[in-house]
Amino acid sequence: MELAIGIILGCCALGAGLAMIAGIGPGIGEGNAVAKACEAIGRQPESRSAVTTTMLMGCAVAETTGLYALVIAILLLFLAPGRLVNILVETMNTLG
Amino acid sequence: MKKPDETVVRETIYIASWTLILSAVLESVFLITGLWKPDVLFGNLLSAAGAVLNFFLMGLSVQNALDKEEKDASQLMRFSQSMRMFMLLAIGALGVLFFDPVASIVPLFFPRIAVMFRPLFGNKDVPSGDIASGPADDEAGHEGGESIK
Repeated sequence: MELAIGIILGCCALGAGLAMIAGIGPGIGEGNAVAKACEAIGRQPESRSAVTTTMLMGCAVAETTGLYALVIAILLLFLAPGRLVNILVETMNTLG
Repeated sequence: MKKPDETVVRETIYIASWTLILSAVLESVFLITGLWKPDVLFGNLLSAAGAVLNFFLMGLSVQNALDKEEKDASQLMRFSQSMRMFMLLAIGALGVLFFDPVASIVPLFFPRIAVMFRPLFGNKDVPSGDIASGPADDEAGHEGGESIK
């Protein structure tokens, strides 16, 4: 029983870690987008306000991918272990 | 600390307004389905505040990054994104552990929904095309873009 619970907890933690790999992408994407925005503002300083607005909206969209991963990681870390262990215990009790 | 840019404040207010509206909708759904309890409200408030704070901090990062060189700007945004992710992880964990999990997770996506509605209700006075080639005022003080007869 302890081994099974240990495997469940380990797999949940491993899954959360793997899910957070997706959090790297938005950071790189936002970085590249802002770098290009700097270049654009350098060429056309008067467009700063419009570029900032577009950048903010673009970054918010890009960050959603990271948020999906974050939510999966949160659920796997804080919600899934308890539920899975409960299911395991109930199954073991039913089987006797 | 640098004063927030007018654009950042304006966009944050836009996102905060939408987050408020969508939070009210979420609460209504919980009320209608009979699943409402104080945990739902507190989880929603915590998560919505976190989502708006995340957007505001992202705006500040973009504002600071635009004053820097390309490479520094890119690094600053990556660092900022990592730190904001940790902040959201903490907020999400608090919400899931102490309040209602659904009401704590869903508001994190409200800014994305607000951006989705942006083309419908967005600021119309910000030109979306080529800024440099916009209409210019003539010497007599007439506004550009109109035919003067």
